[in-house]
Amino acid sequence: MIAHLEISTDFEHLIYRESELDAIWSISGFVLKYGPAADRKSLVRLHECAHVAHDLVVDGRPREAAEILDRAYNHLSAQV
Amino acid sequence: MLSREENELLTRTGQGTAAGEYFRRFWLPALLSSEVPDPDCPPVRVRLMGEDLIAFRDTRGRVGLIDEFCPHRLASLFWGRNEECGLRCVYHGWKFDVDGVCVDMPNEPPEYGFQNRVRTAAYPTREYGGMVWVYMGPPAPTPELPKLEWARVPEAHRYISKRFQETNYLQAIEGGIDSSHSNSLHASVEAFRGTGEFLAKVQASTSMRTKYHWMDRSPRFTVKKTDYGLVIAVRRNAEADTYYWRMTQFLLPSHTMIPYQKGHSIHGHCWVPRDDQTCWVWTISWNPEEPLSQEDRESISNETFVHAKVDPVTFRPVRNKENNYGIDREVQRTTTMTGIHGFAAQDQALQESMGAVVDRTRERLGTSDTAIIATRRLLLQEMRALAQGQEPEAAHRGEVYWVRSCSLLLNREVEFDEGARELMKGEV
Repeated sequence: MIAHLEISTDFEHLIYRESELDAIWSISGFVLKYGPAADRKSLVRLHECAHVAHDLVVDGRPREAAEILDRAYNHLSAQV
Repeated sequence: MLSREENELLTRTGQGTAAGEYFRRFWLPALLSSEVPDPDCPPVRVRLMGEDLIAFRDTRGRVGLIDEFCPHRLASLFWGRNEECGLRCVYHGWKFDVDGVCVDMPNEPPEYGFQNRVRTAAYPTREYGGMVWVYMGPPAPTPELPKLEWARVPEAHRYISKRFQETNYLQAIEGGIDSSHSNSLHASVEAFRGTGEFLAKVQASTSMRTKYHWMDRSPRFTVKKTDYGLVIAVRRNAEADTYYWRMTQFLLPSHTMIPYQKGHSIHGHCWVPRDDQTCWVWTISWNPEEPLSQEDRESISNETFVHAKVDPVTFRPVRNKENNYGIDREVQRTTTMTGIHGFAAQDQALQESMGAVVDRTRERLGTSDTAIIATRRLLLQEMRALAQGQEPEAAHRGEVYWVRSCSLLLNREVEFDEGARELMKGEV
C-alpha cells in the first residue's frame, strides 16, 4: 500500500487507495471494539494512522499519506 | 468514510446549497408527460429539490411548472382552474401563464397597473422521452438535454415508471451502483448458499449473468472517470481464460444504467431529489432495436425486476414501509433472501431502513465499496468546482450521454474499456 500510495496520481488511483485505507480503518476499528485486549496501543496507532492517511488521500496528498503509513509501519515493526 | 461536512455537502439540496446548486445546473426529470395528458387538464403537484411546484398543460399544449403558492395570499394553485392559456387561482382570480406572468388580476383596479408588476416563479420545461424535464438553474448558460438512448427510442420500445422513496437521493444512487449487493439482496436462498444442485443448473444457462454471477462471489471493482461521469466495471472469473465483465454507468448528476446483455432490454434509473429526506426514483426499460417484448411487459406488470406498482396519485409504492414491504417470512425461510417481492421493493426496504439521510461518518467501508467512494468523490469534486465558478461540463454536452451499459466475456489479457468500447456506444 505504501508503494502504491507513492505512485498514485490519477482520480482512479486515489479512489483505490481511499478504499484500501477505508478497509484498514474499518478492520482495525472492529478489532479495537470487539477483538482481544492484547496490543491495543499498536492497533490504536494503526487505526489513527489509517484515518489520517485516508484524509490526506482525499485531499490529493498521497505521498504524505505514504509517509504516515511508513512511519507507523516502522514503529509497529520495532514493537514486534 | 465521509466527514460530517462532506455528508452535509452531498445531501443538502435546497436553493443555495452546494448539491442544490449543482443539480440545478442540469435538466431534471420532473413528471411523466402522461400526468398532464391534455390541454387544460387538471394541474398536478410536483415537489422537487425542496420546492413545491404546480405543473399544468395550457390550452396550447405547453407545460408550465410554477410555484405552487399564489404570490397574493399564498393559497395553493392546486385548486386552480386551468383555462385559456393560464392557471387561475380560485381564491381571488389571479391568473398565471406557463412563464409565470400574471395575465389577469380581476380584483385590483386596472389603473394601478398592479397586474403588470406581478410574477410568480416559473421554470422552463421541455418534453423529451415521455417525461417533462425542468431546468431550475440561473437563466444562462442553459444546459443541453442529455442525449440518453432511452429518451430517443420510439415510445413502444420504452417503459418508464416513477416512484417515491423515503431517503435522500444519494442513498438511492449508492444502491444503484453497488453491484455486490445483488448476490445477497436479490438472491434466492439456493443461489446465496451456492448449492451443488444450483450451480449445476446455472452452468447450463444462456444468460451470462445467471451463469457467472454465482461462480465468483467476490467481484473486483474498477472505476474510470469519463466525460459523462463514471464507468464502473465489475470483474468476475468466468472460464479458465476469460473474465465476465459488467459495466455500469453513473451519468452526472444522477443517472445510472444496469449492465445489459446484447439481445435483451436495457434498464436504467434516474434519482432526483424531492427534498433532503425523499427522492423520486425514475426507472426506465428500453429496447433500442424493437418494441419491448411480451416477456418484458410481464416482468414489469409482475414487478419481478426493477419496476414497482405505485399509487397513481402519490407514486408511493404499494409495497412500502407501512406494510413492511409485504415481507413473507415463510418465503424468506424457504425461497428468497428477503421474502420481499421484486427488486425495487427489496432495494427500497433496505435503503429506507438506513434512515432518510444515513450518517456516513459511522460507516465501515471495504474494497467492494469502490464505486460508492468514486461516485461521492466525483460529486464532491464537481460541486466544489461549481462553487469556485466552474460550470459542470457534462450539463452542456448532451452528446456525452449517448452511451449504454454492457456485460460481456473478455479474454483475461484484454482491458475492459478496450474490449467493451463498441458495446458501450448508444445506437439510437
